[in-house]
Amino acid sequence: MAEIALEGVSKVFADGTEAVHTLDLDIPDGRLMVLVGPSGCGKTTVLRMVAGLEDLTGGRILIGGDEVNEVPPGDRDVAMVFQNYALYPHMTVYQNMALSLKIRKIKRAEMDRRVREAAEVLHLEDLLQKRPRELSGGQRQRVAMGRAIVREPQAFLMDEPLSNLDAKLRVQMRAEILRIQKDLRVTTIYVTHDQVEAMTLGDLVAVMKKGVLQQVAAPQELYANPANLFVGGFIGSPAMNLVEATVSTSDAGTFVEFAENRLRVPDEVVSARPALASFRGRTVILGIRPEGMEDAALVPSSSPDSRFPITVDLREGMGSDVYLHFTIAAPPVFTEDTRELAADVDEKALTDLKEQASERRSTFIARASPESAARVGERIEILVDTRKLYFFDPATGASIGGDRAAATVGVAGSSGV
Amino acid sequence: MRTIEAPERVESTRARPPIRSARRYRARRIAYKVAMYAILIGLCSFIMMPVFWALTAALKPDLEPVFTPTPEWFPTKFFEWDNFRRVLVDTLPFLRYAINTMIIVIGNIIGVLISCSLVGFAFARLRFRGSKVLFYILIVTMLIPWQALMVPQFLFFVKVFHWYGSYLPLIVPSFTGVGFFIFLIRQYMRTIPRDLDDAARVDGLNTWQIFWRIILPLSTPVLTVCAVFTFLGSWNNLLGPLIYLDDDSKFTVAIGLANLVTRADTPWNLTMAANLITVLPTVIVYFFVQKKLIGGIASVGLKG
Amino acid sequence: MASLDTATDRAGLATPGRRRKPTKGLIARKEQRAAYLFLSPWLFGLAAFWLIPLVASTLLSFSEYQIIKSPHWIGLDNYREMLFDDRTFWVSIRVTLKYMFLSVPLYLVIGLLLSLLLNLKIRGINLFRTILFLPSVLSGVAVAVLWVALLNPDVGAVNELLRSLGMTDPPRWLDSPTWAVPSVVLVGLWGIGGGAIIYLAGLQNISAQLYEAALLDGAGPLQRFRYVTLPMITPTLLFVLLTGLIDAFQVFDIAYVLSRGGQGGLGDSLQFYLINLWNEAFVNGRYGYASALAWVLVIAATVVILAIFRTSGRWVYYEYDPERAR
Repeated sequence: MAEIALEGVSKVFADGTEAVHTLDLDIPDGRLMVLVGPSGCGKTTVLRMVAGLEDLTGGRILIGGDEVNEVPPGDRDVAMVFQNYALYPHMTVYQNMALSLKIRKIKRAEMDRRVREAAEVLHLEDLLQKRPRELSGGQRQRVAMGRAIVREPQAFLMDEPLSNLDAKLRVQMRAEILRIQKDLRVTTIYVTHDQVEAMTLGDLVAVMKKGVLQQVAAPQELYANPANLFVGGFIGSPAMNLVEATVSTSDAGTFVEFAENRLRVPDEVVSARPALASFRGRTVILGIRPEGMEDAALVPSSSPDSRFPITVDLREGMGSDVYLHFTIAAPPVFTEDTRELAADVDEKALTDLKEQASERRSTFIARASPESAARVGERIEILVDTRKLYFFDPATGASIGGDRAAATVGVAGSSGV
Repeated sequence: MRTIEAPERVESTRARPPIRSARRYRARRIAYKVAMYAILIGLCSFIMMPVFWALTAALKPDLEPVFTPTPEWFPTKFFEWDNFRRVLVDTLPFLRYAINTMIIVIGNIIGVLISCSLVGFAFARLRFRGSKVLFYILIVTMLIPWQALMVPQFLFFVKVFHWYGSYLPLIVPSFTGVGFFIFLIRQYMRTIPRDLDDAARVDGLNTWQIFWRIILPLSTPVLTVCAVFTFLGSWNNLLGPLIYLDDDSKFTVAIGLANLVTRADTPWNLTMAANLITVLPTVIVYFFVQKKLIGGIASVGLKG
Repeated sequence: MASLDTATDRAGLATPGRRRKPTKGLIARKEQRAAYLFLSPWLFGLAAFWLIPLVASTLLSFSEYQIIKSPHWIGLDNYREMLFDDRTFWVSIRVTLKYMFLSVPLYLVIGLLLSLLLNLKIRGINLFRTILFLPSVLSGVAVAVLWVALLNPDVGAVNELLRSLGMTDPPRWLDSPTWAVPSVVLVGLWGIGGGAIIYLAGLQNISAQLYEAALLDGAGPLQRFRYVTLPMITPTLLFVLLTGLIDAFQVFDIAYVLSRGGQGGLGDSLQFYLINLWNEAFVNGRYGYASALAWVLVIAATVVILAIFRTSGRWVYYEYDPERAR
């Protein structure tokens, strides 16, 4: 087992596209690092460079302290789980798992022991003599895992290993991977575009956008203190609501205003974000998470400074919550970041965003308690948990906070994991 | 849940091979590349040298020996381009041979494209009783060498139709389809989404219109491949013309060229000029379509 | 719902179930009629150029039929003559088998090696491919004419080269009974690029991830070939083996030119099966006897094909592929 370090790693493809831009990343020994980001953000390229399947254009990759830039993949002692599993179709499950050991001239008895042990861990004992084409998708996925496990490698590299499974199986295998990784304590890099997978699996999560690392932190830290607009919008489901707002200060305190609504920013929030003062009288991007809002009718005693009136456009009952959709008469945040985020959802999300921008209105989602009686078309008040407001600089997208250093490439923030 | 005992693991993982120095890996990679290029260049000269030798020979004047103690691989001394004119129209009638061959080639291409696209379409996209059996028969006709039936076919054309000495026996069969091309077209047409047919049917197109307006235009890549293969096959065909043609004025380039050697009455410089003229059209076609040709073979998908 | 189902069934609109054999509905019947119209050229050709000749060929093979005389029935005499009295027939079998055993394995292996080389991802590979595939589009006659000159034992370029390399007594190639068939094989080697295209297509169908997985498993170049390329290329190998064997029965153009117009070469060393058949039919005009020869060819080809297919299940692997499952 070993620590993996990427030092200023960059990758420019032959056609000139820059897939990875000077990336620094440390994966501590035995930890699971998730690389997450929309498609085309370079996460898979990073993984393939660590595996040795792709050359570096610049920088160094170290595994266990040794530079491996020129070392062929087979000598790096890392195992990879591929998106399409890449099982050898002409070999049985047993042979698939045993091949790497056979190539490394591991003794027969030891090989047999390792394969059977891995098979037991993955519940594959009864399938050892079957060929891949006789297996279900989930079983193939397990074999691919097994092939990595028997290697007892320095590191596991996983390239969207669950993306070909259906939703239910995906949740099950996610737990399985987490359990195996914790049992074996093998350093792991896990690539996914699914932020839920990233949050549930990662000891650390690295968010990437267009080849540039946005933030590295523990999942909870990422959620609570996103370094910038992109991370804030990417992590969390439903996504954070964003709107342009003006900061004003009066005797009564600091306020943010958007579309004729006014929210008071609690003093402790203001003092925790000294940089916010410099935005007085200027525009900021205000972020409110859906779970930071509630139907005000359920909390009658709340302060009027934390509420604003809306009309319910749509009510989605989720069982445990109710999603209330409503429209704010202010243009949506229309930056390169938000476009990227919308494009990641789908084509329609992007056109919706453009349409809303031209009509100067934006859609919000509030995650209310199921006891909310709000009906479609009804005028209600929304209560905002003003301690959980997010502020971003409209010019740079960076989070407006106090300690900027901790927020960016903040491995420091993860030391408590 | 079972865990793998830690101490055991530690023992086995420590047996990690030392990571070798980067320089050795790079040196090995470069040596490997150099070796590959050397082999490739060697092979290419093995292919090209005989061709250049033929060109050298073709450009020699009549009195100059074609065979020299040290083989002359490249034309350096003599450039008797007039040899090519003599082969085409003067000493030898290769222009006429070429025109004759083109008549057969064009007839075959038209025949193959019409018949094979119709039949391939039926096999690829229509349901009918006996489709399986007929497809097996198609495969069998691909595997059995046609030469096995050339005697009765010859008698059929000559005794029944009195077509000896005409191009018809060399052209007509292609209008009834060629097994391999039918197979190729069927494989290709099967990859076109079936939704297109359904959508067209809902739009009111009948089967013929679906074939003609939708499937056929989408199949141009495979049709090109079939046309090129047909061109190469009938331009180069020797046995067929040899059986059915008896008159020098109707001969094809293949017979004409073969006769130069078998009768051994033509000087080598003109023989080589004739040889180059014979292969020139196929080489030109090859350079134009080589990408498609290779892709076409790939698309057949031998898995079928 | 149930009543609706039976209603559509009765109207013939529902797709017929697998087990039941209902009368075909209107749409299905229309489709079938169209299908047979589309197939009609081929069905006509099948009857005219395959079935009738097949029957005729069978009958002819039991008859004596020469150009001037009308055919008459002689039973198994043609086959008896072939097996017991026709030296040339046995020579042609020997020459064909010799060619088969030399060429098939050689082309199989060298074609594969060449395609591996051409599958490399290096600069300029397209140029190399273009050059190496070139001979495969040239006519057999043209290639033969070229090599007759190059292989001339006394003045040809090949032997001049060998002599300059110090070989005092190089092979006499086409003028030598021993070397004649190997010469044909060598000339075929010059056009091996054509076989390599088929392999190349097979190689490019192999998923890159399998190689990457093998790389990470620590497989070197030879092991990647052994564990990925070779098993994945077996369907192509089957195809090339099959066509190679059948082609060996069909050697004509090159042998015709190299043996100066189908005369069988020195000591019948180029008396390939098809050359012999062609001579009997179109030079000697013995259509009955030639038909018997043709039937032996069909039977031999069938035996080879069946034998290959019988054993192929044991060594041919197909990649799992959801499309195939259906």
